[in-house]
Amino acid sequence: MLPLLPQLVCALAEQLSRKAIALDPACQPKLRQLQGTQLGFALKELKLTLVISAGTDSLLFNQHDEAVDCRISTDLASLRLLGDPSQLTRLIKSDALQIEGDLQLAQQYANFLQQLNPDWQGALAGYVGDAATHKLVRLLQQLQSYCSLKWQQLQQSQVELVQDELKLTPVRAEYELFSQDLSKLTGRVELLRRQLQQVQESECV
Amino acid sequence: MTEPSNNTTHFGFKSVPKEQKVAMVADVFHSVAAKYDIMNDVMSMGIHRLWKRFTIDCSGVRPGQQVLDLAGGTGDITALFSKRVGPTGKVVLADINESMLNVGRDKLRDLGLVTNIEFVQANAEALPFADNSFDIVSIGFGLRNVTDKDAALRSIFRVLKPGGRLLVLEFSKPQSEVLSKAYDLYSFRILPFMGQLIANDKESYQYLAESIRMHPDQETLKQMMQDAGFAEVSYHNLTGGIVALHRGYKF
Repeated sequence: MLPLLPQLVCALAEQLSRKAIALDPACQPKLRQLQGTQLGFALKELKLTLVISAGTDSLLFNQHDEAVDCRISTDLASLRLLGDPSQLTRLIKSDALQIEGDLQLAQQYANFLQQLNPDWQGALAGYVGDAATHKLVRLLQQLQSYCSLKWQQLQQSQVELVQDELKLTPVRAEYELFSQDLSKLTGRVELLRRQLQQVQESECV
Repeated sequence: MTEPSNNTTHFGFKSVPKEQKVAMVADVFHSVAAKYDIMNDVMSMGIHRLWKRFTIDCSGVRPGQQVLDLAGGTGDITALFSKRVGPTGKVVLADINESMLNVGRDKLRDLGLVTNIEFVQANAEALPFADNSFDIVSIGFGLRNVTDKDAALRSIFRVLKPGGRLLVLEFSKPQSEVLSKAYDLYSFRILPFMGQLIANDKESYQYLAESIRMHPDQETLKQMMQDAGFAEVSYHNLTGGIVALHRGYKF
């Protein structure tokens, strides 16, 4: 990994969180509740720990391996499954997810991020005006709907392809029957070949 | 370049009486204070912000801790620490130079950082704090300007709490020969020119380049920290060794 890249990512994440939090005044009480706590998030492939803490007006991001209040270690493959609560127990049992410290704190940070709802439309309207913002929002919504529809269609196509393939693929009993028929046919062809050979030999004599 | 005797010390490549260096360094920083931040951004292409963030990452700072940002200048490192120690902690921004301290105070107030920061004009060689006062002491791009570095390191050791750590972020010796040559060209040809263009002060940036060359290299500074009493001293080279972060603990 590039030296100082984690620091660059942390700086950008901090700026982004500051702007997002500034656009959602309702999240301030929840941010205050998180103050004084540190959540560590380690990805095994990257071999670094991202530490998130709460400042007065933003989330603060650092990268270090010092002690934190709660530390979550996982790998990239399991990362996308973390959003599904039904998978957590399985991930912990399979050692793909390790949690040390105050689990409730991790949930508090997750809730904070999920409930963060910045009024970016209001902020954008300040620059480009209400009409342009409205058009842009509609365009983005249409784009989102289109992408969502295409994604669903793609997933449906994948399922159908697999199902069609399953229909075409012979089951074990069919395969065994086919193998038996093929063996019988091979035997009969061999018998016929020998008989033909005998007839040819007798004609020559 | 002249070698210093017992009563003289380096001021860039010059050798000057020890008692004069403080005033000469003070003149440099009085001169550059107003344009210090913009020059830092231009000279390092903004990378100094990442070096400072790396320092914070290596500090292990936690909410509620007491931090001393020595030679804190315009307060970049103080701002990062201030947000992380929170309302229950405290950061002391100390600098020997009044002009730099004023710029730092104004900048931090503009950023809304006031509740947990104190400003102290202090000489690093004789810190006006009680023994065992701080969890963390940082000195960023300041140690090379100190007349008696050994005395400063001993003074820092005194004010650190047991278990506390010192972080020295400072220009150092590039690790590759090619980088070293390019860096020399940049430092002695381009840097003073940029200083003249932006801050209208060529001499101060000539001093900056010279003072960097006269500063102890990575291993020498590590030994100096060990001699001052610090344990588990280590350093990280940043940007090919142009800058190094030294870290040591007081046990």
